[in-house]
Amino acid sequence: MTLNINGKDHEIKVEPGMPLLWALRDELNLTGTKYGCGVSSCGACTVMLDGQPVKSCTTPVALCEGKRITTIEGIGSPANLSAVQEAWVMHQVPQCGYCQSGMIIAAESLLDEKPEPTDEDIDTAITNICRCGTYQRIREAIHTASRLRKEASSLLGSL
Amino acid sequence: MNKESGKKNKWTRRAFMITGGVVGGGLVVGVGGLAFLNKKIKKYSGLGFDGDMLNAWVSILPDNTIQLAVPRAEMGQGVYTSIPMLIAEELEVDMEQVQVVAPQPESPYSNTFLLTSAPKDVYKGLTLMEKVYSAIPIVGTGGSTSIPDGYDSMRMAGATARTMLIQSAAKHWGIDSSLCSASRGYVINRATEERMSYGQLASAAALERIDRLPQLKSKESFRLIGTPARRLDIPAKVTGNAKFGLDVRPEGMLYAVIRHPSMVGGNITGIKNKDEVESMSGVKKVVQIDEGVAVIADNTWRAKNAALALDLDEENNGHGDLSSESISQLLDDILSAPPIAIPEDEGKVDDVFSSAEDVLEATYEVPYLAHATLEPVNCTVLYKNESLEIWVGHQASSVVQSKASERTGIKKSNIVVHTQYLGGGFGRRSEPDMVIRASAIAMAMEGIPIQLIYTREEDMKNDMYRPAVKSRFRATIKENGEITAWDNKIALQSVSNSSMKRIMPSMATKPEDDVATTEGAIHLPYLMKNRRVSFGQAELPIQVGFWRSVGNSQNGFFTECFMDECAYHAGMDPFEFRKSKLDNHPRFKNVLETVADMGNWTSSSSPDEYKGIALHKSFGSIVGQVAQISRIGENQFSIDKYFCAIDCGRIVNPDTIAAQMEGGIIFGLSAALYGEITLDNGRIQQDNFPQYEMVRMGVSPRTEVHIMEVDEYPGGVGEPGTPPAAPALVNALFAATGKRVRSLPLTKHGYSFV
Repeated sequence: MTLNINGKDHEIKVEPGMPLLWALRDELNLTGTKYGCGVSSCGACTVMLDGQPVKSCTTPVALCEGKRITTIEGIGSPANLSAVQEAWVMHQVPQCGYCQSGMIIAAESLLDEKPEPTDEDIDTAITNICRCGTYQRIREAIHTASRLRKEASSLLGSL
Repeated sequence: MNKESGKKNKWTRRAFMITGGVVGGGLVVGVGGLAFLNKKIKKYSGLGFDGDMLNAWVSILPDNTIQLAVPRAEMGQGVYTSIPMLIAEELEVDMEQVQVVAPQPESPYSNTFLLTSAPKDVYKGLTLMEKVYSAIPIVGTGGSTSIPDGYDSMRMAGATARTMLIQSAAKHWGIDSSLCSASRGYVINRATEERMSYGQLASAAALERIDRLPQLKSKESFRLIGTPARRLDIPAKVTGNAKFGLDVRPEGMLYAVIRHPSMVGGNITGIKNKDEVESMSGVKKVVQIDEGVAVIADNTWRAKNAALALDLDEENNGHGDLSSESISQLLDDILSAPPIAIPEDEGKVDDVFSSAEDVLEATYEVPYLAHATLEPVNCTVLYKNESLEIWVGHQASSVVQSKASERTGIKKSNIVVHTQYLGGGFGRRSEPDMVIRASAIAMAMEGIPIQLIYTREEDMKNDMYRPAVKSRFRATIKENGEITAWDNKIALQSVSNSSMKRIMPSMATKPEDDVATTEGAIHLPYLMKNRRVSFGQAELPIQVGFWRSVGNSQNGFFTECFMDECAYHAGMDPFEFRKSKLDNHPRFKNVLETVADMGNWTSSSSPDEYKGIALHKSFGSIVGQVAQISRIGENQFSIDKYFCAIDCGRIVNPDTIAAQMEGGIIFGLSAALYGEITLDNGRIQQDNFPQYEMVRMGVSPRTEVHIMEVDEYPGGVGEPGTPPAAPALVNALFAATGKRVRSLPLTKHGYSFV
């Protein structure tokens, strides 16, 4: 089967019921997406499917065929960070860092949907677990990323 | 990595080498903080370093990249930045030049503070016990000790390396060292303003000898220490590039999922359907070891499915009746029996009680707690040519090496440990279980790296839990608020005894000697002339272990809530009540007053707003917190804000201190609101989120942290933020409801939080 991940097609031979998480991590060596619970509860495995956040630990690969899969590896690189990643660095968000791939994907999705989210929007949209308790910085970083995105788009508009 | 100098990073380098200068008298120096050690324990392999090593801590590449050893585990507490700050301060390099290397568990890297609770005296040399702990060695991360252990010695590691670089440059220029200075990775000839980079000097500098240990900088001349440094690990953690234990992929690796006995203290005696499981898709082998049965397959999912399909024969070893109720009863019985130790006994407690008319009594209780690190427990091992390679995120690389050696019979010198980032530690990753099991499984698959993972379910059901604890208080309080007698008795299963039996049996603490049992319950700063703290031991087959802040995690809750009870009993404001008893402890008093100011203790902005206060010292740092909550419904509250003041002595990275307070509060709140592991019929009843729920964004309070400026030796910061979180909240709930909650979690009492 063919999976389109971060704009590139990948051929894999796996059972259709295999969760996307394990196809990414164990078959394609994209280890930025994390396993935390396997039951759609913690959100460490969050990726985007056609722009929508999904828990890859309970999403069968068969449902992902023909769709655009975006993982943390497709969000930005150390030399070219996304606005969200940049805000994450500015606020020094991660502690252990294990949940942060999922958190960043969830934040990107929220900002795509609502470019200027309120605190309530953040409370509703960000339901992932951070065991280190970095929530306050995540909240601040999302507001900062919202501003950075806006500045970038107005800059683009003025060019 | 610099290829040119990469040649030194070869296996042959495992033949131990000694690098560095020599002090007059033949003592080898230059192994940084352990410069003053005797010859025998000044050994390190240099494995993992690519440049010229000036000592065990500093390796310099020709391009002026500075590799610094950080033998402490990065589990989110920022140690991959704070230790480099200490070295870089004296070495005179910028943080941007620094690369962190996790060294092998070798003598120079021993954390002696972990066992001595005393900083090394870098000028006097090591004490006998420090030498012993270095020789073993104990390379571990825990007890919030990384900064207290390294504050002086890491700076000395940087200072000796800088001295060697300067001497080498001075020789090159044919001038006296005193005419040279060092700055940002260069030695400067002050007469000519010529510069040489550390990279140019390193190979010659590595051969330099120094006459005496350099003077460390005064606090006033620090340029890095005390200023917020951006963490070196964060760029990799926002791009998915950071490698945790579960992310390693050595060539040809297979995946193993383990099933443990389903009952506490149980055994697996047989596998009914081994052939059937071995024929499942992707399955390579079913391996039975002493502790369980593992299925090895070509990916985690297939291994997990096959492990779930195993039909196992089990025996319960006689613990089938064990339940949370029976344990609670046992703890009551222990509270009624004579104690096994009385670590604090001052004044005449019994005399005061015998003549007292009004004794305030209360019994508190907390349940078992799982660590629930977000990265489930795992370890990857390759067994090949009578040697082991181990990839793991672990708090103690020396434990990894020694336990793998014990289990496999392979010499420690043939075991290489590749320390990875830890997806949370909190004490769970000081345990050796994952290393022992992975090593045993890998022995059955020679030549193939095996990544052992506990599924979340196996992780939660096979934890080494924070124990269930009961704590009984009696106090007499005069009308003026004076506490005339204080008696506290604690019942639990000793953590140090249980954990050390697994980690290092030869040093296993006896229950009666376990200081963790009463840490945070004895030596309270409050003025009380007559006081006694005692405890008893619960003998149980449950594995209990170190859980962020250990004994303080429950004793902070117990003592600070009972202090609140005493205040109300005396008709006094809880803040004024505490303050009136702190005249002999100005550091505590300052923290308390500061946090009360921050939280506007005496005023509230709405009639539905309530506050609670708590003050607690642990791991050398004093933390005060004010919890501010508001009532939403009958038993429903919003936790709006936490104010937090910390006195941790000298500050290394203030942003990390703030982050640890913020996170420590959330960690304490998850336990206070939801945390509970229960047993029934000998089985652990929780096996995943959200049964074992965590504070999430919607419930998470805003936090304001103030770090006190105190010129004292630094304390730890990874744990001290946690103990005051629960009592501050419970005290605020009392202010709101007039009801005193004496057991956790709060949701069990019908409270909900939004």
